[in-house]
Amino acid sequence: MLQFEDRSVELRLGETVLEALERAGIDAPSSCRSGNCQTCLHRVVEGVPPPESQVGLTKGQKALGFFLPCVCLPTSPLRITRPDDVGARRDAVIRAIDPLAPDVIRLRVDADDFAYRPGQFLELVADGDLRRHYSLASHPEDDPFLEMHIRLHENGRMSRRLGEFKPGDRLHVAGPSGTCFYEGVHQDQRLLLIGAGTGLAPLYGVLRDALKRGHLGPIRLYHGARSRDGLYLDEELKALSRTRAHVDYRPCLLDPDAPAGGDVAATALHGEQDVKDSAIFLCGGENLVKRLKRDFFMRGVSMKNIRSDAFTPSG
Amino acid sequence: MPNLYERLGGENAVNAAVELFYRKVLADGRIAQFFDGVDIDQQIAKQKSFLTMAFGGPNNYTGADMRNAHKRLVAKGLNDSHVDAVIENLNYTLRDLGVPEKEVKEVAAIANSVRDDVLNR
Repeated sequence: MLQFEDRSVELRLGETVLEALERAGIDAPSSCRSGNCQTCLHRVVEGVPPPESQVGLTKGQKALGFFLPCVCLPTSPLRITRPDDVGARRDAVIRAIDPLAPDVIRLRVDADDFAYRPGQFLELVADGDLRRHYSLASHPEDDPFLEMHIRLHENGRMSRRLGEFKPGDRLHVAGPSGTCFYEGVHQDQRLLLIGAGTGLAPLYGVLRDALKRGHLGPIRLYHGARSRDGLYLDEELKALSRTRAHVDYRPCLLDPDAPAGGDVAATALHGEQDVKDSAIFLCGGENLVKRLKRDFFMRGVSMKNIRSDAFTPSG
Repeated sequence: MPNLYERLGGENAVNAAVELFYRKVLADGRIAQFFDGVDIDQQIAKQKSFLTMAFGGPNNYTGADMRNAHKRLVAKGLNDSHVDAVIENLNYTLRDLGVPEKEVKEVAAIANSVRDDVLNR
């Protein structure tokens, strides 16, 4: 009836999933125990959680099976995992590695049965302990491969390792994770996508997904970069905005002399005064994402309409 | 007579209030610094749980979580004046939503009842 990862958990009549986990000695955090604080968040990987255990979660979280064990009285069998469990590692083979900019590469890998939503991220495992998260720019219905845009760091371990890889080499992937994807957006809603650097990868995935699903509302994509080279999909996005009347691409080169800071966040905040009803996607460094999230929220955008993915640097 | 939570409109009232309330708190120069660097998504869930409790809704309030959550802030100088400011913003939020004065006072009284836990006294 109830399974936690691979072990079976006894569920007594009238008992919540949280109570059952605790009785089984599983370390499950909780706080309000009434379905509000979301501290106990877990994920259903097999079965359907009762709707009342998903109240207050985003459409994206619901679509991925997230639920609140403290208010979950299961009516059918469930198998659940911790919210950050990325599942088993799968084999992947490198299909292509190509430069997109002097410090950005496009990595395409083949992996069987890797289901994901464009804009989610995966864990790329090069050697035993060498693992990094990368967002997916590919579309599962159009592309037979998984595509990532990766910034190379001079002294980064993964960057150096990627420099040695060639097509045909094997590595592993796990996941996907993340809720920054096209879900819970109205077809006519205005879509605002803002990213810096390789934060473009998930936004590009979301943009393609939106178009594929027949999104009708206006779409504006801001991409920020420190130099012209960094606007690595410039030509493609310009071409796309010429053929799709409702797509507006705004490349933003860093301008240190601009009064408001001159980065993509400043440009977008200046250009987007009326955002109250837009669906907003934010991807890039932590500072950029936090700043935009807060400023748009203060301008009256509901957090339900802000999806984001902040990249955190690692060695 | 329906209880406070029912009179306010239950879960829908919490949903209507939570973002309004949190915007007021972040815009209040007296207390905004305590929320620097805090993730808004996680905060909204926490504020929702606080409002549900303050509205007299279903909760399992023990005080321990409230104490732990604010320990770090007390060390940074959180005091009675900041708690006053939060309750003031809560009052403004409820008035904006057209809640009658009687219920506004009841909510303020519940919020005030956790003051010692928040301030770790």
